[in-house]
Amino acid sequence: MVLRASPSRPARWGLLLALLAFLCGGPALAQTPPSLEEDDIFLEDTDARVPDPLERWNRAVFVFNDAAIDYVLRPLHNGYVAITPAPVRAGIHNVFHNLLFPVRFTNSLLQGKGLAAGVEMSYFILNTTAGLGGILDLSPYHAPVVTPDAEDMGQTFSVWGLGEGFYIVWPVLGPSTIKDTLGEVGDSFLDPFTYLDPWVGSALVAARVFHDLDRVLDLYDDMRHLAVEPYSALRDGYIQYRRAKAAK
Amino acid sequence: MIFRSARCSVCLPCSCFFLFFVFLFPSSPALGAESEARQRLERTINAVLTELNKPEFRNPASQPQVLASVETIILTLFDFNELSMRTVGPTWRSFSEDQKARFQTAFTNLLRETYLGKLNGYEGETVSYLGESSSSDGKRAEIQTSVDVMGKPVPVAYRMILKTDWVVYDIIIEGVSMVQNYRTQFQDLLSRGSIEQLIRLVDDKAGEVRELNRRQRAGS
Repeated sequence: MVLRASPSRPARWGLLLALLAFLCGGPALAQTPPSLEEDDIFLEDTDARVPDPLERWNRAVFVFNDAAIDYVLRPLHNGYVAITPAPVRAGIHNVFHNLLFPVRFTNSLLQGKGLAAGVEMSYFILNTTAGLGGILDLSPYHAPVVTPDAEDMGQTFSVWGLGEGFYIVWPVLGPSTIKDTLGEVGDSFLDPFTYLDPWVGSALVAARVFHDLDRVLDLYDDMRHLAVEPYSALRDGYIQYRRAKAAK
Repeated sequence: MIFRSARCSVCLPCSCFFLFFVFLFPSSPALGAESEARQRLERTINAVLTELNKPEFRNPASQPQVLASVETIILTLFDFNELSMRTVGPTWRSFSEDQKARFQTAFTNLLRETYLGKLNGYEGETVSYLGESSSSDGKRAEIQTSVDVMGKPVPVAYRMILKTDWVVYDIIIEGVSMVQNYRTQFQDLLSRGSIEQLIRLVDDKAGEVRELNRRQRAGS
């Protein structure tokens, strides 16, 4: 979603991706939170931090995103929520989610999680047929053998042993790492919207991001209420959350 | 049953996919002897939930009393000294006794206000216990629970340590350790400012959350 490969210049993009992957070549970082065994009082030996060489840029983008959320995205989203009934919103969310099935399925397989891939496949067929083209999410009514964990390519790269590279805050899209950004690029090839007319596809991707803002906005408010130093709180929260997801 | 109608017998990829159909009943959680840590945690959480499910909690006039009793119950479960040391990290050693005391008071206020603020949004969520593990010396334990928030299970783990009784020193929500999150913030602030500034910031934040809670309660 962040970088879209243009077919006319594949070589240049390939070079850029190779360079970015090289940046992620560092060792995978300490497990966070630390295991119960080594969870000593001052944790002097564990370094859970992610490198943040672009901190000045990141902080500036963080401030920009903060303002974008308060003055643009939240008012727009509140307006959207006000005029769209909740069942309609749930239906739209389900359709978007269902269409991203190739991302979750492929990444489950790439991580060697055959059962999870099977469950994703089952849900996709179930929701596409009985769920009326994905409008209904019937998965809560069918307990699976394993609960799939919304796998994406950032997690796949972690499973393959790639390091995070470093932390980066993208305008509007928010916190990420080099590894997760590469993952987004990879996942965009599994996103059906990528294969539509570029204008329609981009509009649909934007609509999807906008539609699912409510969860992001809630988390963001929580973070801002609780944090003494919001920038480091978000950076650490993002890294811990992504590492925990990759470890599952 | 839904799948039978969709089955096509000829196509090989399809039959392969059907190997993936793996809906089964969830295995029931193992019922073993419950550790003291878990009993202690469960007792406290149940006591809190009992308070919150009282009709008085829904009544704005009597709500402060319910919150006050919840507060008393909760304060015994957490070890705020341990929490303060862990969130500050090694720099704790260079705090004077007076600074330690003031930091602990400010941080306790912040955590208490944050927690009480969360309770404002309580909508009858339930807690289920998934499992637990303990360190080899038996002094630390982690109790894994799942909180049902609007139909979506949110994993919450409690890290506990054995003092005179088992007390909580960290809460890990969706893989994010609260202690580590605050530690990152405090170390950032300490690397740029003084201990006194840190204490003042934590104190200000606690006041801010208290004010926010007050307004939310008045508005609800």
